[in-house]
Amino acid sequence: MKSINLKENQFIQFHQKISFKFDGVKYFGYKGDTIASALLRNNINLVGRSFKYHRPRGIYTCGIEEPNALVQIISEYSEPNTRATIKKIYEGMEIESQNRWPSLENDFGSINNLFSPIFTAGFYYKTFMGPHKKFWKNLYEPLIRRAAGLGKPPKDFKGISNHIHHNVDVTIIGGGLNGLLVAKSFINTNYDVLLIDFDDQLGGIINNSNKISLIDNKEPKDWLKETIQEIEDSKNIKILKNTLVTTYNYINHLIAIEDRFVGSKQIEGKVNSTLHKIRTGHTILCNGHIERFLSFQNNDLPGIMLSSSFEKYMCRYGLAPSKEPVIFSNNSNSNSLVFSLIKAGLKPKAYIDSRSGEEIEPNLFDLIRINDVPLYTNSQIKGAFGNKKIEKILVEDSSGALNEIKCDCLCLSGGINPDVHLFTQSKGLLDWDEKDLTYKPSKPFQPTITLGSASGQFNFDNLNSDINKKLKTFKVKQLDVKLELNTNTKYNIEKLWEVSPQKKSLWAKSFIDLQNDVTTKDIRQAITEGFDRIEHLKRYTTNSMGTDQGKISSINALGIVSDLLDKKVNEVGTTIYRPPYAPLSFSAIAGRNCYEFYDPERKSPIHSWHLKNGAIFEDVGQWKRPWYFQINKEESMHDAVQRESKNVRENAGILDGSTLGKIEIKGEDALEFMNLIYTNSFTKMKQGSARYALMLGEDGMVKDDGIICKISDQHFIATTTTGGAATVLGCMEEYAQTEWPNLKVFMNSITEQYATFNISGPNTREIMKKAFPNINFSNEEFPFMTFQFHEFNGVPIRILRASFTGELGYEIYIPSNSAPKIWDNIQSLGKEFGLAPYGTEAMHLLRAEKGYIIVGQDTDGSITPIDLGLSWMIGKSKKDFLGKRSLTRSDTIREDRKQLVGIIPSNKADKLEEGQHIILDKEIKSPVPMLGHITSCYHSSTLGHDFALAVIKNGHSMIGTKAYASTSSMSTTGVDIVKPVFYDEDNKRLVS
Amino acid sequence: MLIINCPYCGPRDQSEFSNGGEAHVKRPDGSKEIGDREWGEYVFIRANPKGLFYERWVHTHGCRKWFNCVRDTSTDEILVTYKLDEKKPNLNNFKSVVKTPSGEPEVGSGNFTVEK
Repeated sequence: MKSINLKENQFIQFHQKISFKFDGVKYFGYKGDTIASALLRNNINLVGRSFKYHRPRGIYTCGIEEPNALVQIISEYSEPNTRATIKKIYEGMEIESQNRWPSLENDFGSINNLFSPIFTAGFYYKTFMGPHKKFWKNLYEPLIRRAAGLGKPPKDFKGISNHIHHNVDVTIIGGGLNGLLVAKSFINTNYDVLLIDFDDQLGGIINNSNKISLIDNKEPKDWLKETIQEIEDSKNIKILKNTLVTTYNYINHLIAIEDRFVGSKQIEGKVNSTLHKIRTGHTILCNGHIERFLSFQNNDLPGIMLSSSFEKYMCRYGLAPSKEPVIFSNNSNSNSLVFSLIKAGLKPKAYIDSRSGEEIEPNLFDLIRINDVPLYTNSQIKGAFGNKKIEKILVEDSSGALNEIKCDCLCLSGGINPDVHLFTQSKGLLDWDEKDLTYKPSKPFQPTITLGSASGQFNFDNLNSDINKKLKTFKVKQLDVKLELNTNTKYNIEKLWEVSPQKKSLWAKSFIDLQNDVTTKDIRQAITEGFDRIEHLKRYTTNSMGTDQGKISSINALGIVSDLLDKKVNEVGTTIYRPPYAPLSFSAIAGRNCYEFYDPERKSPIHSWHLKNGAIFEDVGQWKRPWYFQINKEESMHDAVQRESKNVRENAGILDGSTLGKIEIKGEDALEFMNLIYTNSFTKMKQGSARYALMLGEDGMVKDDGIICKISDQHFIATTTTGGAATVLGCMEEYAQTEWPNLKVFMNSITEQYATFNISGPNTREIMKKAFPNINFSNEEFPFMTFQFHEFNGVPIRILRASFTGELGYEIYIPSNSAPKIWDNIQSLGKEFGLAPYGTEAMHLLRAEKGYIIVGQDTDGSITPIDLGLSWMIGKSKKDFLGKRSLTRSDTIREDRKQLVGIIPSNKADKLEEGQHIILDKEIKSPVPMLGHITSCYHSSTLGHDFALAVIKNGHSMIGTKAYASTSSMSTTGVDIVKPVFYDEDNKRLVS
Repeated sequence: MLIINCPYCGPRDQSEFSNGGEAHVKRPDGSKEIGDREWGEYVFIRANPKGLFYERWVHTHGCRKWFNCVRDTSTDEILVTYKLDEKKPNLNNFKSVVKTPSGEPEVGSGNFTVEK
């Protein structure tokens, strides 16, 4: 295909040369060129290999609908699958073709084309079900999957995207003739208007074709300039160029992506795209139409392109991809291409129309006759032939005779479709137009207005009246634009979807989806195999499932299916167009919500101390909690945890418990409310005392636990698990508002207002005496499970005597701002008593030795308090509480429920692991009846061996018996099932 | 994303709210004898109609208030929101303009012929 440069225009300057590399070879283009137009200028049309058969493919279109010309931009994070027809070139750009090896010209994968008779519809489904598991690993996965595909994923993607929110009255999508006219009507009104266009130039059809000759008696170019100026000057209209609306959500919520580096190289570290999230009162769709292609043998050869795209290259890029293209059409849309060619001093090599001579527009007829263009009416192209490019075509004329025409370019037009993707995303309904042979928008589901060819108005006759009618609700001024056309015709089309090949052959291919390599034969086969529902057919053949969503071909497929099934197209229906309209990168969707901004990090007031003292952190919900403290870099986690836990048992340890959820409950009816929310009864509880409490779901399963401090019948403070704080508060709010609105009670989170220190160990009392000399910590004055308010150096503090480790322990609650100072003070005073900080892992070990559960680790939403052996915590005399009735359901009282037990290895030297299954047989013989599994497992230096908590079927009655724990190496470890308490069973240390 | 009209705060983005399932499900009085079936239905069984549906929402990242609404589950349109102590509106007052977005039958789904 030999291209020629036409006259310069406002979009392309021939004096501004730009160099770029394609597959390593240097070429020149001009400023304003897309990759496609620059390649065509250099007479390159082979730009890629197809998805399945590795067939040579060229540039088919001149816009977003491009199915073939997808390239990898090496110079920009190696971005794959970039549409060459959109991306503008810049100095030094490096581009690579895709899906070929070793080179584009000699692609090894093209051997697939020879085997193509077996790669038919459903190939993947049929093959991958195939004979042996090993095939998957050794053949399918490495070979077949690699052979099929598009670009390579980028290795080191650093794209940055911003998100911008808009709240406007009207959004106009598409800045073509209709979009500009609508925007013009809104100039200086009270409406906030957003005008969005995908191109870097407003004007659409005015720029891309020669259809219009005069607007309001002015040259279209001049009219355009004036109008854009007026719109830009208007204060209420904002224009977004280079912005593609990809998604139309419910309640007029639009998502659009703006390319910030059009025609220049992206700069690392700078925002390369902006995601616009738009909420609008009305959406006005003026996004035009898309031309479709036609199916015949080898309709994928490089050198074949859509006729309107050829015209766009001429008008927009000053480039004729070929000096003498052949035109093949079944409709009037290609008239203007003939006009443009002749205006540029070129002429088509032949004009082939499937319509009869009477149907063809008289002015086109005249134009063709005057210029001596060979005309074939009532004719069809049977096939295109050539080696990696089109060389000749076979035309069947009205008499049935075959004519061979040599050519280097073929322009196709199979009719035009309104671009209904966004309209259907908005859930608007479509109607099949039997005359124009396309789906057109009919009933909108949202406040959506369609105008121009996007609404199916392919003629300009009703331009003014249609806009005036549809904008009536806005009460903007009436439009009266005079339009004169170069090709004064009404849209006319004859039905033609596919031309059958001249010779029947297994290798003859007429494509229906170029990107996914689907042929019309695949469609036939799918229907024969019973996939005659359009949604099934789509998935079975992968038709229109490429990144282009079959923009130029999906209606053709419906046409072919309707003919095959002998149904009307509207009976066949259409597949659903889903967002996004065109691919957008994950980095654009993620925006700035990644890395450290992905999720908020919550830190305790003591965090900086932890950092300085060798803490290794673990994430608990959003919180950063010290997992363990390293005394030196060599200390392993196991050693640190054993050291920390041993120190708590022998001396004393301090844990930062600030992350525990804290909820304050107040109100006249607080007592009644607490009795309803928790299983325990708080009525007889003394003021100033505390109680370990359980919260259930209505299904009777343990949801959370914590310690409840009763300040008075009207005032409680509850602690929750670190991860459960929000859920527990949410649950309290829900029941207070929805079930018991009669109760006067209010609750609020005070988690972040107070820091919590848990000090425990035999030396704790001595440390507390030193730290708070004015408080009496004796057993009589300060018994276990009581709390006291004090003032310490002007800071109000609350001390609770409770323990999660099984040792004598106190929890100190301090307003967050004063916490670091008191923490430091305790650290230095505690040194002489061996006080050392410990982390969550040591805490878990210590609590497990005592058999204290962790909700979410030892329970999983299917465990009742009875299963845990905690029936003593249920206020049986209470009339009602959350989940009470469920505790006597047939399922919850069944005997073989999984219950909490302790597990120790029969041979103390054996190791156990969390997640191991408990079984009864020493030998593993499938099927293996499984009793349950280990939920928590640690090595205890106090006990000198491993121990575990487990939930196993009927566990309570199995205590004292033996069982086995299965290992990953298919052997078993003998274990003893014991009571879930391993240390200080009678709580002597706790109350000492 | 939906816009939900909180009866206390006004229209806000859906991301501020959490869904609470079917509304007007009465919790059996715990002080009385409750049968297994009655309690089981309260805990586990909820309606799941295609069409108009009484639903609970909570303005989680806002006023933390619970409220009720009528939502058309086939179109996601929220027809009315009302406070918990307000009477539940009669569903006959609402006309579902489009039965379902693609005109599918009332039960089941799939892509059937586009009809008005």
